[in-house]
Amino acid sequence: MNAVEIDGLTYTYPGAPQPTLKEISLQIEKGDFLAVVGNNGCGKSTLCKALNGLIPHFITGTMEGSVRVEGLDTRESDVGVLAQKVGYVYQDFENQIVRPTVLDDASYACLNYAFPDYLARGRTALRQCGLEGREEEYVWQLSGGQTHLLALAGAVSLQPDILILDEPIAQLDPMHADRIYEVLRDLNENQGKTIIVIEHHTEYIADYCKHVMLMKDGQVCWMLPTEDALQRVEELEECNIFPPQVTQAAHRLRRAGRLPTDIPLPTTVEEGKTAFSQLRYVPGAPRRTPEATSEAAVSFQNVSLSYRSVKGEPRTVFQDLNLTIRRGEKVALIGSNGAGKSTLMKLMVGLLRPNGGTVSLFGEAIGDKKAEDLSRQISLVYQNPEEMFIKDSIRADIAYAMEVRNIPEWEKRTAELLERFRLSELADRDGRLMSGGQMRRASLAIGVALNPGVLLLDEPTANLDIATRREIMAVLDDMKDIIQTAVIATHDMQLVCQWAERIVVLWDGKVVADGPRDEIFARADVVEQVGIRPPEIFTMGQALDRRALCYTVEEFLSSFQEA
Amino acid sequence: MEKLTAKLSESILDKFSMDFLRNQVLKNAYGNDDTVIAALDPRVLLAWYLFFGLVPWFVNDIPFLLGCFLLVMGTTILARVAGLVLFLFALGVFSQTGYLFVVTLLFGGDASAIAPLLTLTLKVATISLASVTVFSGLDPDKLSNGLMWYGCPERLSFSISYAYRMLPMLMEEFQNVLLSYRLRGNPPAHETLGGKIRYLIYQVKIIMHSFYPLMLNTAKRSRTTVEALELRGYRYAAVNKSVKKIKLASLKVSCNDGIFLAVSLLVVAVAVLISTLL
Repeated sequence: MNAVEIDGLTYTYPGAPQPTLKEISLQIEKGDFLAVVGNNGCGKSTLCKALNGLIPHFITGTMEGSVRVEGLDTRESDVGVLAQKVGYVYQDFENQIVRPTVLDDASYACLNYAFPDYLARGRTALRQCGLEGREEEYVWQLSGGQTHLLALAGAVSLQPDILILDEPIAQLDPMHADRIYEVLRDLNENQGKTIIVIEHHTEYIADYCKHVMLMKDGQVCWMLPTEDALQRVEELEECNIFPPQVTQAAHRLRRAGRLPTDIPLPTTVEEGKTAFSQLRYVPGAPRRTPEATSEAAVSFQNVSLSYRSVKGEPRTVFQDLNLTIRRGEKVALIGSNGAGKSTLMKLMVGLLRPNGGTVSLFGEAIGDKKAEDLSRQISLVYQNPEEMFIKDSIRADIAYAMEVRNIPEWEKRTAELLERFRLSELADRDGRLMSGGQMRRASLAIGVALNPGVLLLDEPTANLDIATRREIMAVLDDMKDIIQTAVIATHDMQLVCQWAERIVVLWDGKVVADGPRDEIFARADVVEQVGIRPPEIFTMGQALDRRALCYTVEEFLSSFQEA
Repeated sequence: MEKLTAKLSESILDKFSMDFLRNQVLKNAYGNDDTVIAALDPRVLLAWYLFFGLVPWFVNDIPFLLGCFLLVMGTTILARVAGLVLFLFALGVFSQTGYLFVVTLLFGGDASAIAPLLTLTLKVATISLASVTVFSGLDPDKLSNGLMWYGCPERLSFSISYAYRMLPMLMEEFQNVLLSYRLRGNPPAHETLGGKIRYLIYQVKIIMHSFYPLMLNTAKRSRTTVEALELRGYRYAAVNKSVKKIKLASLKVSCNDGIFLAVSLLVVAVAVLISTLL
């Protein structure tokens, strides 16, 4: 029996001129692990909401055709009945959690549907999602990854046959991302659940999913087994989906006639080992390391910091932290969720005061600086761009800092910035109503408005699909000449490898490694301990030859030649 | 000396940050779930509150009020109420009656005004402390279950616990919006007295301006929450009687509740006795 049967589904949002879903017909087998891929706005999320009955029961609009889930017609069943068949985890999962403690939240739905054993059900769900032992904790004590697992447990508690997850790992570090997918695999293989993920990370699709469905302009292009789906490199790239780097490299080799066309493209590092076995490593010219001046831009001397906690002892974040960032450096700050990256940035802009030690900016302690001087020297772009929009249009937002300082020709400079970040068309819109990539660009423009000596960026590529991420990476590259010193806190190793000249690894409030990328990724102990993961292509190169240090597909192609 | 005052005012400002407020709110709601008061049955506590929140208004007998006051002071200590709440309580009570005393003096009264004012202060303080004990000693969920048992609508009790779940998030968001202003704004210099006043006005203005982005951001977030509540059966539960039954099944009157009521009764009885003897 099929878990999902859709027949001729066409759906139009209320007031929308065009249908979002057009003539969709498909079947999803029971026990499948399906990845739904597609461009932004191709209707992926809408399709998923049609499965759990939010469409048409909660979100109205015109719906034609039929959707059957586990044999139930969604039009005839109410949301409550369907919720026990289909679990849904949102992309902004933290807004899905409504109760203060972990067990409360996990069992909340069961209580509402009047299961007398709701607590036991909640406990089972927590165990299935790997949150055992955290039942009594408060939800704000959980890390990002654990919060996501809790949202999943909340959905699992009703024991639905189908689970839908919208971009489950967009905000997580690789370790937590693995954790989520391991849980999903367990639910799929051992509990017999049908899993549907909306996913951009093709490396994870290659490792975990059974089928891939490509959507385009509200229609289903195809649904294929993962191995076959990832072979269609050109079609995927056209929709801004980028296959695993190994596949991309093989595809380009094949196009150049350097790889036979009759064998399938490898999709994982393991498969790559055989496919690329003919290639030999050719050492290239040693890379030059850019020189930084010796002048310190930001320095931490014996900094310690602890947070008040609701109960018990304050939590120590940093203890005797020492770190110097020199003028002209491009630093990437990496570490798992909760390692203290954002806190370090808040210390640098003086939003937090250390309990001990000093943080200085260009040789002067931050505590002694006037707020006005400070904002000209250093600027912070938040992880969540919405919090930077304090005016009702992005033009006003970008202009604000310059306007209140009466900077000569601020209007002209605002126009220049809008132009530079390709926002002129959107200048009068509220930042919150723009797309993810546009919001990021606007927040970057706000961040550089005062020409700060040091620019801090907190997770600039989090929550973006791959195409937008590429775009932001290009913007960051483009900004290199206008920004002297920059620090980026991120999980995105592709960004780290392509952009950063120096990598600082934070773990448990300590700097455990500090140096250029070749040095960091060569240290197996750090990679293991902190759970950072180099880009797949780097691992591929390493698997073929220990001397190979390639961070991009281009570098890989140029440093490996036929024997 | 100047340096010292600067330091002092800085440390007070530092203490009174959003971070501190957020921490106090959480502490108030969830930081004391292991106290004697928190372990009591919410229905018993609400009934207890009905007495100590109403009766003192109608009684003018000083020994009786004093006895009640001592009792609720004891329960407040037992409830381990967060510092900020106590501070606000003290400020509220004493600014209120203190100002009455000053007005009395101004209009030709003398020290004899103290006695009636003291009665009023005692009344207000007793009632306030009783409220503090109940509303901050109990965690929001127990409180809302208790209210539900007395027939308050399910929506009210959900709102209470949901507000507590949202408050920390809202405050964090508010803090970040305020920080945006701090990082990008240009506050007036505040070395002179005039500057300080301008600075204060600026701060108040910023706080007011911050509400606009805060509201919009919250509205954006709540879209998901509303859908999630629907999926998780919130609306379904509101009309289902058996859900209420299951929820209230967790309420149990224990031996401690008996002792608590007995002690309260004893204190009140002794106070009444003393006042009749005097």
